[in-house]
Amino acid sequence: MARLHPFTTASFAATTAVVVIASGSRWAAAATVLACAVAAVRTGRLRRFAAACAAVLGPLWASQLMIHALVDRSGAAALWEVGPLRITAGGLDTALGLGLRAAVLVAVGTLAALAVDRHDLVAAIDAAGVPAQLGYIVGAAFGLGPQLAGRSRAIGRAQALRGAGGRGPAGWLRAVRLRAVPLVVATVQDAALRSGHLAARGFPASGAVVRYREVADSRRQRLARRIAPAAGAVLAVVLIAGGGALP
Amino acid sequence: MSTSPSAPPSLLAAPGSRGPSRRSTILGAAGLAVLAGTYIVLLATRPDAVAGGLGEAAALGAFAGYLAAALLLLAAVLPELPTEAVVLIPAALALNIVLGQFVGSVMLPLYLDSIGTVLVGFLAGRRAGAATGLMGTLIWSLFNPTVLPFAAGAGLIGFLAGTAARWGLVRRVYLAPVAGLATGVVAGVVSAPVAAFVFGGTSGVGTGALVAAFRSMGDGLLSAVTKQALISDPGDKAVVFLAVALLVAALPPRLLRGFRSPAARRDP
Repeated sequence: MARLHPFTTASFAATTAVVVIASGSRWAAAATVLACAVAAVRTGRLRRFAAACAAVLGPLWASQLMIHALVDRSGAAALWEVGPLRITAGGLDTALGLGLRAAVLVAVGTLAALAVDRHDLVAAIDAAGVPAQLGYIVGAAFGLGPQLAGRSRAIGRAQALRGAGGRGPAGWLRAVRLRAVPLVVATVQDAALRSGHLAARGFPASGAVVRYREVADSRRQRLARRIAPAAGAVLAVVLIAGGGALP
Repeated sequence: MSTSPSAPPSLLAAPGSRGPSRRSTILGAAGLAVLAGTYIVLLATRPDAVAGGLGEAAALGAFAGYLAAALLLLAAVLPELPTEAVVLIPAALALNIVLGQFVGSVMLPLYLDSIGTVLVGFLAGRRAGAATGLMGTLIWSLFNPTVLPFAAGAGLIGFLAGTAARWGLVRRVYLAPVAGLATGVVAGVVSAPVAAFVFGGTSGVGTGALVAAFRSMGDGLLSAVTKQALISDPGDKAVVFLAVALLVAALPPRLLRGFRSPAARRDP
């Protein structure tokens, strides 16, 4: 199968999420999440997919359970009641509906993010005719994250070697200061140097520039990624107006 | 290139101060109008059911409205940023993650994930601060899609940080937490409808417990989420503003010289 352009992947993912959420169907939501998991298995990304989804959905589901299932005030018959806690079938049902809605968004979004090559994404943004600053910021953010994390660890090791920090809240605050100040100073210093170099080379460039990375694209993909969101929006309006056509 | 006669030349120095262009003003106003419109519609309709039927419409409407506002605001501010602000933004986004993780590792009940955004607001001004908040959320959504509709709120935090610096609240470090408190109130109120109508509450266990407590006392969902946000966000932003004001005070003057924000200019 030909590789999808990053924007095509994003367009299809957004359309899927919107239509499934608009349908209000729990079966459609569960099937979508399952389909995303199957796609992750087939592309060898199941572990990363599951870990990313669990990290987001775990606390979110716990929060939704607490808010809707534990303190239902709808007046429905309680399944279990003690003090301010009041569990009802309606509350559990609301929490389930919200949980599935969030699961669709997270599963589809995570799968799309895992499917997109970050270098392709940056190249696609660069070639899309949007301000050059956007491509620079996205590309640099991907590169600088690991670099700064490594620098932060190195600063922490150096401070530990000289016995800086200490126990208790005061020691922790001192440790934070001793790590944050050199990290921020070095980061701003680097940005200052980079700014000069970029400005000297005429950033942001106006006019034609040479690109060293081409992202696979086709007329069919361009058409599909424009039609899909529009069709999805229309379908979503129809589904919502009809109160959800699916069970 | 124009530089102030009293200041030594700097590689960072931007060409003379420019106001926003007509295009930027229109796009910014459109973004704010969409944000305000979505907020007012959500407050006016307040669907009872958060899941199913109107609940799905409110969720999609809130998501789409807030995201559209964020994209319009980004289109307004991004093309006009000077190079020194553009290079600072990705570094600030990485700082948000690295410092946020370090603080999070000790189980403090604070997010402190907007340190980089506030730093850019203080150093490079309102538009750069707003762009940092917006871009940070858009990039972070690749790892956590649920943050996407909160982009406008994050942009607002950066914008208000730049505004605080412009009003001189950062040069007196003791005023920084006050500006942070006010920023937290605005950010909390703006983000509450998204949390309530898109996700049915909050995304964290601790904040969820707070919302549940307010609900058990008889509050509606939006009211409970807003109260929780008004408890969590101002304190967090006050700490962040104070921390960043102290960090800016610790930066060597030669580094600050090129930035145009008042926070970057020290009192003699």
